[in-house]
Amino acid sequence: MAEMQVKDSGGGKGKPKKMSTRVDLTPMVDLGFLLITFFMLTTTLSKPQIMALVMPDKDVKLEDLEPVKEGKVLTLLLGANDKVYWYEGITDAKLDSTDYSAEGLRKVILNKMDKVQSTYGQDTYNDIKTKEEKKGSFINVIIKPTKESRYKNLVDALDEMAITHVRYYVILDVSDLEREFMKHPEKGLNFSAEEQVDANTTK
Amino acid sequence: MPKVKPHRNSPSIDMTAMCDVAFLLLTFFMLTAKAKPMEIVEVDTPSSISETKLPDVGTLTILVGADGKVYLDMAGSHTRRELIEQMNSQYPMNLTEKEMVQFANSGAFGVPRNRLKSWLDVEPSQRDKFVSPGIPTDTTDNQLAPWIHNARLAQFKMKQEGKVKEEYVIVVKADASTPYDAIEEVIHTLTDINVNKFNLITSMEVNPNKVGAMGGGEK
Repeated sequence: MAEMQVKDSGGGKGKPKKMSTRVDLTPMVDLGFLLITFFMLTTTLSKPQIMALVMPDKDVKLEDLEPVKEGKVLTLLLGANDKVYWYEGITDAKLDSTDYSAEGLRKVILNKMDKVQSTYGQDTYNDIKTKEEKKGSFINVIIKPTKESRYKNLVDALDEMAITHVRYYVILDVSDLEREFMKHPEKGLNFSAEEQVDANTTK
Repeated sequence: MPKVKPHRNSPSIDMTAMCDVAFLLLTFFMLTAKAKPMEIVEVDTPSSISETKLPDVGTLTILVGADGKVYLDMAGSHTRRELIEQMNSQYPMNLTEKEMVQFANSGAFGVPRNRLKSWLDVEPSQRDKFVSPGIPTDTTDNQLAPWIHNARLAQFKMKQEGKVKEEYVIVVKADASTPYDAIEEVIHTLTDINVNKFNLITSMEVNPNKVGAMGGGEK
């Protein structure tokens, strides 16, 4: 317990009373630390985090496009109400849906990565920073957010790319064909490679 | 135990020293840290595992509110001055010298060009009462594109004159529940003016791959 002895000047007016007051300083210290915590939290000492995003060039020439085997491709359609619709490749594509939890989207991506590995093996590349040889998946993910999705859905999808170490992914616009596919999945996806090339080079 | 412990005078600790330390720390924080600036729009960014920090260099921030309104902010009063002079000569805004100085010292704004003059005339302390309609980004009247394009040119010019060190890092700060529509317009605006590399501001999230490292020591 804190003590602060304050001696009341007894002499002078002829009143011989001597009172000693004790002031407990613990609340004062509490107040001090409370104010410190307040200022620590309301001022900017930490910088916000950023996530880099690289978009493809708008003027893409036909000669620059590299064809990718459809067995390596996984397309994610970000829908409304935090739902992700996905399909593999473009031939006989079946639409399935999942959510953004670890058991949902991450499992879908990891399963596809396993399939790609069993068919095509692993990709060897050189790490940019350490220059050592590393192995990664050949998987190509196409993220197509729809107008009904939220910004958080896009960030979550990009996060999953980082968590599952997907090296080839791109953000593209949803096509009318895919919108039809989402509405009537049983009709299948009538995609053609020529149309896809067309859609991405004349833009 | 029949022995009774002799009563000792309970020692009293003088708390004045502790109090001194507390107020010293308080004064330190009050004087050295900058206060969080009044944001033009409250944005609750989504979380991500990314740990890259915002660089110290000048940033051009595109803020998107949950209602889809777009605001713009760029760092550096020299660049802002150059930018507003260029915009004033290219578009009919009729800004006075005083208004251009105001712009150079202001922060984020979210008004179409025809309302910029009235926004700049409002006292800075009264600005939070001004309801901003946001910068138009639709394809018929994309006003965001010339702002960003000219801001980048202004920053490049300042870099050549030696007033700034780096070119702008473009950053998008959007609310988690913003409809993708608004974000798509911003992304298309950027790719149309050949800005293919930009950053998204996110809040902290634990990386599930690293959770084991804390306790078990495995990567």
